[in-house]
Amino acid sequence: MASVKLTDVKKIYDNKVTAVHDFNLEIADKEFVVFVGPSGCGKSTTLRMIAGLEDISEGIVEIDGVVVNDLQPKDRDIAMVFQNYALYPHMTVYDNIAFSLRLKKMPEDEIYEKVTNAAEILGITEYLTRKPRALSGGQRQRVAIGRAMVRNAKVFLMDEPLSNLDAKLRNQMRAEIILLRQKLDTTFIYVTHDQTEAMTLGDRIVIMRDGIIEQVGTPTEVFEMPRNIFVAEFIGAPKMNMIDTELVREGEQYFVKPFGAKIEVTGEKKDELAQKGIDNGSIKLGVRPEHMVLAQQGGEGTIPCKLEVNEMMGSELHLHVYTEDGTRLIVRVPTINLSMEQRKQLTYGAQLYITFEGKVMHFFDKDSELNLIYG
Amino acid sequence: MKQYTDLEYLKLSKGQRLLYRIASFFAAIPGKIGGLFVGLWNLIKTAAKAIGKEASDIWTTFVHGDWKTKLSYLVMGFGNLARGQILRGLLFLLFEVVFIAYMILAGGYWLSMLPSLGKVGPTEEYNIIFDTYVTTYNDNSFKILLYGVLTIFFIIAFIYTWRVNVKQNQLAEKIIASGKKLKSGKDDLRSLVDDQFHKTLLALPLTGIIIFTVLPIVFMILVAFTNYDGTHDGYYNNLFTWVGLDNFNTMLSWTSGTGAGTQSYAATFGEVLSWTLIWAFFATFTNYFLGMFVAMAINKKGINLKKLWRTILVLTIAIPQFISLLYVSKMFAKNGIINGFLMSMGWIQQALPFWEDPTWARITVIIINIWIGIPYLMLITTGILMNIPQDLYESARIDGANAWQQYTKITLPYMLFVTGPYLLTSFTGNMNNFNVIYLLTGGAPTNPAASSAAGTVGYTDLLITWLFKITTGAESQYYLASVVGILVFVVVAVISLVVYNVLPSIKNEEDFQ
Amino acid sequence: MSEQTLQNASAPARRHMGLKASRTLANTAIYVFLIAISIIWLIPFVCILLQSFRVESTHQVGYVIPQKWGFDNYVNLFQTDFPRWYMNTFISALVTAALQTIIVLCMSYTLSRFRFKMRKPLMRLMLILGMFPGMLTMIILYRVLKDLGMTQANSVPGLILVYVASSGMGYYVSKGFFDTIPKSLDEAARVDGATRFQVLKKIILPLSKPIVIYTILTAFMGPWGDFVFARYIAFGASAGKNVAVGLYDWLNKDQISKCYTMFCAGGVLVAVPVTVLFMCLQKYYVEGVTGGAVKG
Repeated sequence: MASVKLTDVKKIYDNKVTAVHDFNLEIADKEFVVFVGPSGCGKSTTLRMIAGLEDISEGIVEIDGVVVNDLQPKDRDIAMVFQNYALYPHMTVYDNIAFSLRLKKMPEDEIYEKVTNAAEILGITEYLTRKPRALSGGQRQRVAIGRAMVRNAKVFLMDEPLSNLDAKLRNQMRAEIILLRQKLDTTFIYVTHDQTEAMTLGDRIVIMRDGIIEQVGTPTEVFEMPRNIFVAEFIGAPKMNMIDTELVREGEQYFVKPFGAKIEVTGEKKDELAQKGIDNGSIKLGVRPEHMVLAQQGGEGTIPCKLEVNEMMGSELHLHVYTEDGTRLIVRVPTINLSMEQRKQLTYGAQLYITFEGKVMHFFDKDSELNLIYG
Repeated sequence: MKQYTDLEYLKLSKGQRLLYRIASFFAAIPGKIGGLFVGLWNLIKTAAKAIGKEASDIWTTFVHGDWKTKLSYLVMGFGNLARGQILRGLLFLLFEVVFIAYMILAGGYWLSMLPSLGKVGPTEEYNIIFDTYVTTYNDNSFKILLYGVLTIFFIIAFIYTWRVNVKQNQLAEKIIASGKKLKSGKDDLRSLVDDQFHKTLLALPLTGIIIFTVLPIVFMILVAFTNYDGTHDGYYNNLFTWVGLDNFNTMLSWTSGTGAGTQSYAATFGEVLSWTLIWAFFATFTNYFLGMFVAMAINKKGINLKKLWRTILVLTIAIPQFISLLYVSKMFAKNGIINGFLMSMGWIQQALPFWEDPTWARITVIIINIWIGIPYLMLITTGILMNIPQDLYESARIDGANAWQQYTKITLPYMLFVTGPYLLTSFTGNMNNFNVIYLLTGGAPTNPAASSAAGTVGYTDLLITWLFKITTGAESQYYLASVVGILVFVVVAVISLVVYNVLPSIKNEEDFQ
Repeated sequence: MSEQTLQNASAPARRHMGLKASRTLANTAIYVFLIAISIIWLIPFVCILLQSFRVESTHQVGYVIPQKWGFDNYVNLFQTDFPRWYMNTFISALVTAALQTIIVLCMSYTLSRFRFKMRKPLMRLMLILGMFPGMLTMIILYRVLKDLGMTQANSVPGLILVYVASSGMGYYVSKGFFDTIPKSLDEAARVDGATRFQVLKKIILPLSKPIVIYTILTAFMGPWGDFVFARYIAFGASAGKNVAVGLYDWLNKDQISKCYTMFCAGGVLVAVPVTVLFMCLQKYYVEGVTGGAVKG
């Protein structure tokens, strides 16, 4: 139960490659923070530096106010769950969980108490005498979590713990981690490349790219107020549509003109644009697929386009369309909004008209890729 | 030459592609050699830069350091002691004391004698009392060379330790300045089983390697530049001394009649070297392909008793080689079982000259080596063959490949890829395969024309057995043995470098993964 | 018409038969081949065994089956220095196995697990050192050992020293094995509170049984077959020879007519224990050899 503070932390490998640039972050006690980003973005490296498995090239890492740069992992009072579980293959489940306690020279009856307790919570009591080899992926994952749980460590580190599980099991374990978090009530740092995991688990999300933090914020913040195009595209699936277009100011009103259409900016977005005093200019316009809708027919506010692929996802359709100049867009349409007859017509080459409301737009600078409002 | 793009290359015919690849291989050579020199130059530059940096670092540490640091430049470990790191300080101090004592008591002498390798040889004096000549032994060239080298090692170690000592002070000052605590002796000891555990683990193996491999090799390289041999043993009969490049001149000169035979050393060396290479080539590849063949035969679907066949072959690995080799060598002797059998069957009238005729002997050793080597290769290839993904074969069969095509297009490329490095080590290992040659033939039959200090060089002698014969021969010309040893090294190193540069396992590491 | 149909129907069947027949043929050929090589591989050992029981003469003969059988050769062995050679070899093999295993494991574990500044240069240095013929160093080692009194009759400690001292250079196979143990196990254990030493003791060693046994086995078998170093260090002193050198000398020109059958008997006595041990641990040997070749 402790805070973690990283100040100007850098990781430079022997071959002079910088994996993490000036990483600054303060994690509060009992907070659940998720590092997320594409592979190679430095998120795991950062976690491993906190754990002490990787040397810290520059900067300071503090746990509970103590500088831990020169401490061995065993002296940092952390627990960690690894991507491939890292269970000791020659030990039974019981011995795996008891390993750290035995190293601490805890009396055996106390160990028994703790291990069976953890096993109970995780539902692995019946496997305690088995070797990891005889367990399924999900069970192994539980043992790995159990091993971390019994340590009562100050900080709980998880390095892509769910990425080796199949989709169904992953959803189930995700829910269990949320429960576990409530039970343990300690500081969590969780690394993943999956934005869904990040959004559902984290109190705060740290989005990284190429060793740099792109944005830190709550799930709502990063979803609604992405700081730049990278974050906007990374969070949300399918990713946000990006359209090269013009922002036009006409007195108090703002318009965008994608592909010949003219759509007015409304709501808070308009106020914020006005507040920032933003003028005419070329921009990148971002609209999430779920915010695009099919129009009945063409008109001033609609974009004409042709259907390329129609993915039936069950409750919704993902329509991949292309406009006259070949730009590809994705539209998410709830299945329930369309009649059987309409759905039948959504075949290759069908002429569609799409539109979107004025309040769902995101505006990005063309060159810096920063959000014009929140950047 | 013209560079093709990938798409242009794909349009070429098979022959053109081959030509193109050969051409580009040779076209790349000047660049490679140039690259080598550039690399060497860069190495020198970085080394010079590093030394410069060290020197300036030492200087600035001295200038900016406090008095404890400054005194440490003279009295090693003083800074550690003064700052409370007793254990480290004492070790540094101890090392310095031992070093100085050694240099005064012995090291100085060895070092001073090193340029001459001894001044006074053994002298004979008439002793009146015993009425006989008594020999007094004086300088010992062997010891001078050995301990001289050792002393130089020691000096290098001292300089390194001294540098560490300086660095320690610099570090300690920095840590104190930042308000942190220095590591105590207890911390140091504890770190030896934790973050510094590798030092503990490596201490023993590396000491062994330095004393029993590095030191002897340096010594023997130096011997190649002396006249150390049976008559100049450096102590009992004559001193030995530096002779510069004379020995290399002897070994590589084309003047005939310098050794026991009628031809020059260079010619003899060339003959032995070419046989060594031929031998290594055949020994490696016959074993490789036949071993793979046996493994595939045993692995084939529908063959029963797989374990039995393997065990029979593996049995030959278990039996010490000297027994099987010596015995087999006698089996092929003139009065051995093979000839006896063939004659009693009436197939031949006279004993076959397995060991007497040069060509027969060379072929026989290669064939017997197959007998020795197949079991190993069978074991090795069995494991790898089983690792080839079955779906590769399934897809090849669906594409219409027959058994032979499956072998040449899937099995062989896969095997060569995976075992590339093994083939290289096996090749160089065979070049130095002392046991097989020495125990089978002892190098025989003798090549009368070959010039050699030891008097006999045989047609089946490898460089390594020749080297052995020189050192154990009547004249024990160690200096020539050293020259041969160095040349063996050069040959092995060149082959390794070339092969490493073209080996696909190194270049495209991920191809088959 | 009906005939044609019949023909059509039987065509695939016949082709099927042909496939089967050719497979049987191929398998028969392979069986013949395997039996042939088994005989070739075993003949020398059968011969050596039979010759060791031949008592009608002691020299080399052109036939295999003894005319008179007996244990004379074995009994005679004990009139010679053979028991001494045997003990020399056995002791050096035993000690070498123990020490060499420790050294090789230290070396390979370190190079597999630790990333320190000198690691790459160290490995490169050992690669280069390995390109020098090891025999070259014998000249100096012999003289140094002689000064230390560890040659000729007292060769055993000297031999052990030579075998063990540089054995760290043979780290490749076991390093390859250690490399296959996931690093995250080490890391998990270190997070769990283990020191590096405890990681080695509690995690890595228990998982490394095959490679430990392989290392012991090869280290033990080495001295039984060593000829060069043993001959150098014994330097003609009979009491300091090992079995390889002793038996080799029995086959030189002056001795072979007296000692040939005794050589066979000695060979059998040497081969039997080593072979039995090897056969028991064969599984581990095969694992080690296979893994080592792939790693290079």
